[in-house]
Amino acid sequence: MSNQKKRNFQIEAFKHRVVVDPKYADKTWKVLEHAIHEIYNHNASGLSFEELYRNAYNMVLHKFGEKLYSGLVSTMTSHLKEISKSIEAAQGESFLEELNRKWNDHNKALQMIRDILMYMDRTYIPSNHKTPVHELGLNLWRDNIIHSSKIQSRLLNTLLELVHRERTGEVIDRGLMRNIIKMLMDLGSAVYQEDFEKHFLEVSAEFYKVESQKFIECCDCGEYLKKAEKRLNEEIERVTHYLDAKSEIKITSVVEKEMIANHMPRLVHMENSGLVNMLLDDKYEDLGRMYNLFRRVPNGLLTIREVMTSHLRETGKQLVTDPERLKDPVEFVQRLLDEKDKYDSIINKAFSNDKTFQNALTNSFEYFINLNARSPEFISLFVDDKLRKGLKGVSEEDVEIILDKVMMLFRYLQEKDVFEKYYKQHLAKRLLSGKTVSDDAERSLIVKLKTECGYQFTSKLEGMFTDMKTSQDTMQGFYASHPELGEGPTLVVQVLTTGSWPTQPSSTCNLPSEMSALCEKFRSYYLGTHTGRRLSWQTNMGNADMKATFGKGQKHELNVSTYQMCVLMLFNNAERLNYKEIEQATEIPAPELKRCLQSMACVKGKNVLRKEPMSKDIGEEDAFFVNDKFSSKFYKVKIGTVVAQKESEPEKQETRQRVEEDRKPQIEAALVRIMKSRRVLDHNNLISEVTKQLQQRFLPNPTEIKKRIESLIERDFLERDNVDRKLYRYLA
Amino acid sequence: MIVAAPAAKDRVKFNVGGRIFETTSTTLANAGRDSFFGPLFDENWDLKDSSQSAGGGEFFIDRNPDCFAVVLDLLRTGDLNIPPNIPERLLYREASFYGVLDHVRSAKWGPFDGNRLRYSKSISGTAPGDGTAIRAAPDGGCAVAHGSIVHVYDWMLSEEHPPLTLDHQRVNDVIWVDPENLAVSACERLGRGDGGLGMFNKTSGQLRFKFQVTHDNQVKSFTAGALATAQNPNHRIFSSCKGRSNEYGIGVWDQFTGKQVDFFYESPGWSLGDADRLQWLEERNCLLVATLFPRKDNCYISLLDFRTKDMVWSWSDVGAPMTVDERRVRDGIAMEGNNAICVVNEYEDLGFMDLRMNGGAIRWSSRSRLIMKGRMPDDEPCYPKLALHDGGQLFSSMNDCISVFCGPDMVMTSRLRRGYGGSICDFSIGGDRLFALHSEENVFDVWECPPPPVI
Repeated sequence: MSNQKKRNFQIEAFKHRVVVDPKYADKTWKVLEHAIHEIYNHNASGLSFEELYRNAYNMVLHKFGEKLYSGLVSTMTSHLKEISKSIEAAQGESFLEELNRKWNDHNKALQMIRDILMYMDRTYIPSNHKTPVHELGLNLWRDNIIHSSKIQSRLLNTLLELVHRERTGEVIDRGLMRNIIKMLMDLGSAVYQEDFEKHFLEVSAEFYKVESQKFIECCDCGEYLKKAEKRLNEEIERVTHYLDAKSEIKITSVVEKEMIANHMPRLVHMENSGLVNMLLDDKYEDLGRMYNLFRRVPNGLLTIREVMTSHLRETGKQLVTDPERLKDPVEFVQRLLDEKDKYDSIINKAFSNDKTFQNALTNSFEYFINLNARSPEFISLFVDDKLRKGLKGVSEEDVEIILDKVMMLFRYLQEKDVFEKYYKQHLAKRLLSGKTVSDDAERSLIVKLKTECGYQFTSKLEGMFTDMKTSQDTMQGFYASHPELGEGPTLVVQVLTTGSWPTQPSSTCNLPSEMSALCEKFRSYYLGTHTGRRLSWQTNMGNADMKATFGKGQKHELNVSTYQMCVLMLFNNAERLNYKEIEQATEIPAPELKRCLQSMACVKGKNVLRKEPMSKDIGEEDAFFVNDKFSSKFYKVKIGTVVAQKESEPEKQETRQRVEEDRKPQIEAALVRIMKSRRVLDHNNLISEVTKQLQQRFLPNPTEIKKRIESLIERDFLERDNVDRKLYRYLA
Repeated sequence: MIVAAPAAKDRVKFNVGGRIFETTSTTLANAGRDSFFGPLFDENWDLKDSSQSAGGGEFFIDRNPDCFAVVLDLLRTGDLNIPPNIPERLLYREASFYGVLDHVRSAKWGPFDGNRLRYSKSISGTAPGDGTAIRAAPDGGCAVAHGSIVHVYDWMLSEEHPPLTLDHQRVNDVIWVDPENLAVSACERLGRGDGGLGMFNKTSGQLRFKFQVTHDNQVKSFTAGALATAQNPNHRIFSSCKGRSNEYGIGVWDQFTGKQVDFFYESPGWSLGDADRLQWLEERNCLLVATLFPRKDNCYISLLDFRTKDMVWSWSDVGAPMTVDERRVRDGIAMEGNNAICVVNEYEDLGFMDLRMNGGAIRWSSRSRLIMKGRMPDDEPCYPKLALHDGGQLFSSMNDCISVFCGPDMVMTSRLRRGYGGSICDFSIGGDRLFALHSEENVFDVWECPPPPVI
């Protein structure tokens, strides 16, 4: 049944075809062919679109689609062959213009042909898997014009020549160039890539290889980079003007490779103008250029970073180990800060605040600051200096900035506990001598330290401030309850909590009787209000203001230490005293006494005492008189004690030892904390955990940790595993 | 002499088969550049001036004026009104001449929405016997398989195209590879190499090529079953295959070359070659293969990854305890957006399985079993089938009606039924239309959405 039906259908179709006059098809095609000729000859105005469309429609309708299509192909091909000849004939400059003109003509013609054959395009072509008219026209153009043997290489050479001329500074017709390149792109990305882009990239690579070689021979680094940047921008601009946008990444990578990647080490290490010189001379612009260019190539930034790091470490190391620098701690820290500022601004201005560079900077500072064991002390001294005198007349914001910078250096320190020790000492001196410039600045720094290191780190420092405040109140209370004391000397006592303050071996002395009576009164007042406390006098930390009248009646107010006061008071009752007598009367420890006598008798302008014999050093047999001829421009005279501001070698050892002692309980605490939570842990892991926990404050020494472990084992906090001796167990 | 007011400039005069029409170029611009009217305003052609000077300001078109009036009205209003005296086919032919067929089509029916579907018409065929499958074409036409023959209808629903047959073997499935070509799978004939799988051109009815299967470098004949296509990432066509010497599995071919590119062999204890349904899951780059009761005693659903040659997800009811109501899976479809496979049983209960979890169980939505139970037809029941539309609507056919399910919970929102022709044995959605093929009479129904209202 279905067979039958199928045959019927075929017969019908056959009959149908016979009806149509075969000549009709030829005639119709002739009309259309003529029209195509006319279109190519710019004679389209005489054509009737309606008629042509209808004819094409009829041909397709009457199953002459194949004839129509193949006719179109051959007609168009023959026209393109003509066009190809006329383009080939064009001489020199006019070649591209002719090509462009013909291309425009062809496009216009193609559009019109497609209009006529629209019905075929819509019905016959998709169902027969043919190429649509527009695409067909482009393909034929490609095959007959662009790939014709006489045009292909000439076109390529002309285009490359134009690019080359533009690179060497000539002005070329960019519009024409754009049109031609656009044509290649219209013909398909494969045509553009194969017939132009590939060669373009090769030629460009060669060009830049030669040029970069030339530049590097005769330019310094900054100049070279400037040129490379200019070339890169030119190529980017070229792409936007007349190339495919997709070519940008390709051509820039060619330039990057030839001009930058291939010369990177040489540029960076270029003598007198390389990266190190740029860093030294703060050449932000050149550095920024280098950063932007090197960023484009693999390992570019790495190269910059490595050179910067090693340079920074080298200079930093010199800075912190230079014995000249060690003489002045303030200058030392100031230099560090300057160095940090310098690189901060380089990274900010030239390296667009790149995180990896900031990290490299931090690492370098951490590295070299800790090369010098005295860095913590110096930083504390720097703060001391700033808070003693440096901050006068500086606005609050600037104070904050300076403190922030100090905190930054502090962050780099490994031995933060050493810093704490020194800071405590220096703070104590500042507070007791009333030398601190700004309470706010002091407190602000403590808050910063607290946020950085936690409550524990600063609790004692804060305790010191509290003591100062309570002492003030206590003194007010004392004088309020003893109104009769208004007359005599005024006593100001600071009650210091033991433990909060840096302890010093208390070396008492015999106070003058007026003073000791007053002290006794205070003691009984204080112990009366606070039961169960013990007071001991730290005479070595006190000072006194005294009024003195000299030979010619000139009056001065002398600012002296407690020891000096004791010595001077002796001269109220004696004309002449020798060293032994003074020592006996005051019981000041010998080194201290010598220092205070030295400062009163041997310093010019402050010599309120006279000494016999006149020499620089104090001898056991020396005798002392009041210097009646003492004179000074000032009413108030401050007589300093000859003190070593920086610690002397034995003092340093002592501080060091104290720090080491303080570390022991901290290490033990960390050990117990870790073991308590882990129960069982092997040696290596325990060491690394402890190191990690304590890193915030200091870098513990592994042998010290080991000692602490031994000690804990002895005290039955831990035990070694019976089988694996490397394992520790926690004993609850 | 006439003052060129802006309106006058815009005016265009046509003489169509002797009748004068006047309109504006803006109206004609609605037809688009790729229509007969496009070149009229193209600077290359210069037609307006030349025609006006030649024919007294008219542009002559040698076509039927009645149809032109309708087409012009369509361009003016976007609405299609065919007077009774014009045969639809004639109008379509004229629209095709002017290149505005797409306008006509979108004026005839609107974008697909399961809940707005209206019954449009029924088409009776001449082929005897039960229908096997109906497949909607991307352009609104369809192909209907009856026994060993496939009838192809264009979107005007006239059977202009020659019917297709693959060596006159029983057709198992049909699929549209693109709007022009369709693949037909058929049973093999013993020892002749007939049947198998072929690709046909819709218009000419010619067999473009037969897809072959080679096992150990030998071309083997096979019975092709369910079909699926993948456009992404590369144009593939899949078919379940049963070979003579137990070469069961899924064959994969290239759509353009017709060459076999892969074959996924069935593993023992599983079923691929008998599959009832294949579905390409684009996001997962996997093929869903479902073999269902009653083709096999058990149901097997699996996802195949051809890149790793892996079965990445599988489910089967082998060994599952028999329940009292004996619900067996009759069809399944993957909903990638919901990460689920939806299945249906003979009572049209929907069930869901999670695609992200291997070896899960079916979660039945206990919806309508009781309602349906009393109305099971006695003769020739057709098992439920499922279809999915892009918008996330799920369709399920059962007996003589099709249910529409929407929303994240797949609630039933519409039911399509037309009494004539008996149960629905297959249905398909495509080209913004739904086609339903009946099993008792050789007739299929067309459902479409009305175009968006003009007023």
